[in-house]
Amino acid sequence: MARYAMVIDLDRCTGCRACMQACKVENNTPMANFWMYVFRFEEGEYPDTHVWFMPRPCMHCDNAPCAKVCPVGARYKRADGLVATDWDRCIGCRYCEVACPYGVNYFNWKKPSKNYYLDWQDEDVVQVTGGAVPPYRNPDLDAPYGEERRRTAGGGRLKGVIEKCTFCVQRVERGLQPACVENCPLFALHFGDLDDPNSTVSQLLRRKPSFRLLEELGTEPRVYYVGGHPPSTESRQIEEVKARV
Amino acid sequence: MAARVEQLPYGIGRFSIRLYLLLAALLVIVGWGIFAYSRQFVEGLVVTGLRDIGTMGGATWGLYISFDVYFVGVSFAGITMAALIRLFHLEHLRPVSRMAEALTVVALILAAFSVLPDLGQPLRGIVNLFRYARPQSPFFGTFTLVISGYLFASLVYLYLDGRRDAALLAQQPGPLRGFYRLWAAGYRDTPAERARHERVSFWLAIAIVPLLVTAHSTLGFVFGIQAGRPGWFSTLQAPGFVVMAGVSGIGLLLVIAAVMRAVLAEREQLHEGIFRWLGTLLLLLILTYLYFMVVELLTTTYAGHHHEVRISLSLLTGEFAWLFWGAVAALVLAVIVLLLPFLPPGLRARVPATSPRWALVFGVAALVPASLVALQGLNLLTLFSTGAQRLLAWLAVALALLCFLLLLPYLSRNVVAAGATAGILVNVAAIGKRLLIVVPSQTHGTLLPYAEGSYTPTWVEVSIVVGLFALGALLYILFFKVFPVMEVHAAEEGAQ
Repeated sequence: MARYAMVIDLDRCTGCRACMQACKVENNTPMANFWMYVFRFEEGEYPDTHVWFMPRPCMHCDNAPCAKVCPVGARYKRADGLVATDWDRCIGCRYCEVACPYGVNYFNWKKPSKNYYLDWQDEDVVQVTGGAVPPYRNPDLDAPYGEERRRTAGGGRLKGVIEKCTFCVQRVERGLQPACVENCPLFALHFGDLDDPNSTVSQLLRRKPSFRLLEELGTEPRVYYVGGHPPSTESRQIEEVKARV
Repeated sequence: MAARVEQLPYGIGRFSIRLYLLLAALLVIVGWGIFAYSRQFVEGLVVTGLRDIGTMGGATWGLYISFDVYFVGVSFAGITMAALIRLFHLEHLRPVSRMAEALTVVALILAAFSVLPDLGQPLRGIVNLFRYARPQSPFFGTFTLVISGYLFASLVYLYLDGRRDAALLAQQPGPLRGFYRLWAAGYRDTPAERARHERVSFWLAIAIVPLLVTAHSTLGFVFGIQAGRPGWFSTLQAPGFVVMAGVSGIGLLLVIAAVMRAVLAEREQLHEGIFRWLGTLLLLLILTYLYFMVVELLTTTYAGHHHEVRISLSLLTGEFAWLFWGAVAALVLAVIVLLLPFLPPGLRARVPATSPRWALVFGVAALVPASLVALQGLNLLTLFSTGAQRLLAWLAVALALLCFLLLLPYLSRNVVAAGATAGILVNVAAIGKRLLIVVPSQTHGTLLPYAEGSYTPTWVEVSIVVGLFALGALLYILFFKVFPVMEVHAAEEGAQ
């Protein structure tokens, strides 16, 4: 069994947010839901300022606080390390969301079809589009995945359930890389098997010192950062995405 | 027949015009709440003020969870009274025991109902919470211990406790006779049966006492064991919940007992000793809670991580200061009111006898600016600038304080009014404190440097919560219109 992990090279990230875009296209996430989010930070006082960028996917923690508190087992840890959300079982209590220290969970506040940036059924919109709706349902996302054969892929399936980054389980199980990794123009994101000593992630972690976010909480994240430092009280967020449903 | 029905004690089965009007008003409010919920059911939780923590800058738990915690807290009253009366032989508290038990049952029903609108998939919730139950989740305790175990135990206790009265009432003909017979279920009030009942309720009371602590603690654990939420992660959370539950539960019981004393013909049975005793218990619980609060704030602001400090400062001086200091003020004022019976007699004799009329005038006058400010705060009505709104808020505070000061001499002579006033004050404080536990840790407690969030409830949430209160009042009134609120005395029966 593989032991999947992501390694993010902060030295390489330019904050272009292509990963956020790729994630949205691949996973059909509703408006204002950012399964992958890139912080843009500024530190220091003018003129001695330093700007840096930090992508934030789900950390897929080994000791996941969200999976612990789920009252129905809809959020669970897979044997290969992915933290999955079974949207067929989720009751929408949002306990995982308050338990998560990283803020990676997104709830479907309204019917997803009404929340794909435009209400495509709206009369005014139909006048322009002629009734055409972009392909917001990637067929790969409907299939069951993992040993458990549970429906855990993709976003925007149902109103009133929680969803979050899946590490693109529908791609990983086919031997592909997650969409954000695949689309990073600067190879800042890496994904692979920690048990394989020759995988990029293993090599990177051997070569460079690394850290994980909020390690002191004991959540044991599976996302490692190399070539930078964790955000501190000095890090001010610039250009935050203010999207609200 | 009608004349005989009137002979039933405690106004059972007697519906005056005023009562009909009250019930109709309550029904309208419940209906409005159901309408609000139907909007949410169709549109999704987007109609609430809740949003995602993190990039969306919201709170994902809000009024619904706060009031769930509040209602579960209020349910503390019944079991406590039962335990106190049975285990410590506080027979003089017996007249309020059934009121307290009914309060427990109603409050737990409301608690269950206030979780339901919080769920994104309520229908799935009802099935999956049992089908896929996971004991590792703190919610498991809430659903098993609190909603099921606690509610079931309270119902059994209420049933057993009422069986003798049902048997006595079933002796009289009347439209409710069949109901009483069903409740009595063959009970005939022989000495042997009575002794067996005493034994059963004694052991049931003993069995329920650990439930009292564990059930209220599980709700504390829902918050207290989340390491990733500053402001929640604290050992004191569970004991704090138990004590605050006691404060709100006993407080509401005092209010209900005072109302019953005002409306029932048999008011003499609710003697002042009950109010004095419950008031002292409430006083001790409030002081314990205030102590917990100071300990916790001192720990987090002095030694805590900067995230903890941020939460504490948002309470002490920041966005939530009005609510925090309002709740603290309500608790302190309640302490002052409850200390009045301990005034030395010499001092008390010198307190001028005043009528509460002017105090009430100022109280009502305070409500006007307060509700205007509240409506503007909820974005339901925008009439004033921020400065004018702040001025109005201070005006309301000043009027309320004036009302309180004018009321003090009256309260020092009237222990019933004092108990009811303290009860209202602590329940306002309890609701405030519940909101302060739930909301700031989400909007101001993100460990990654997200922007600060905000949360304002919408009309849907407010309507559903108000509807729940109305439903509770409705259930409570209707229950005591078919069943005696206090024990029926055999002697009384004999006289008829």
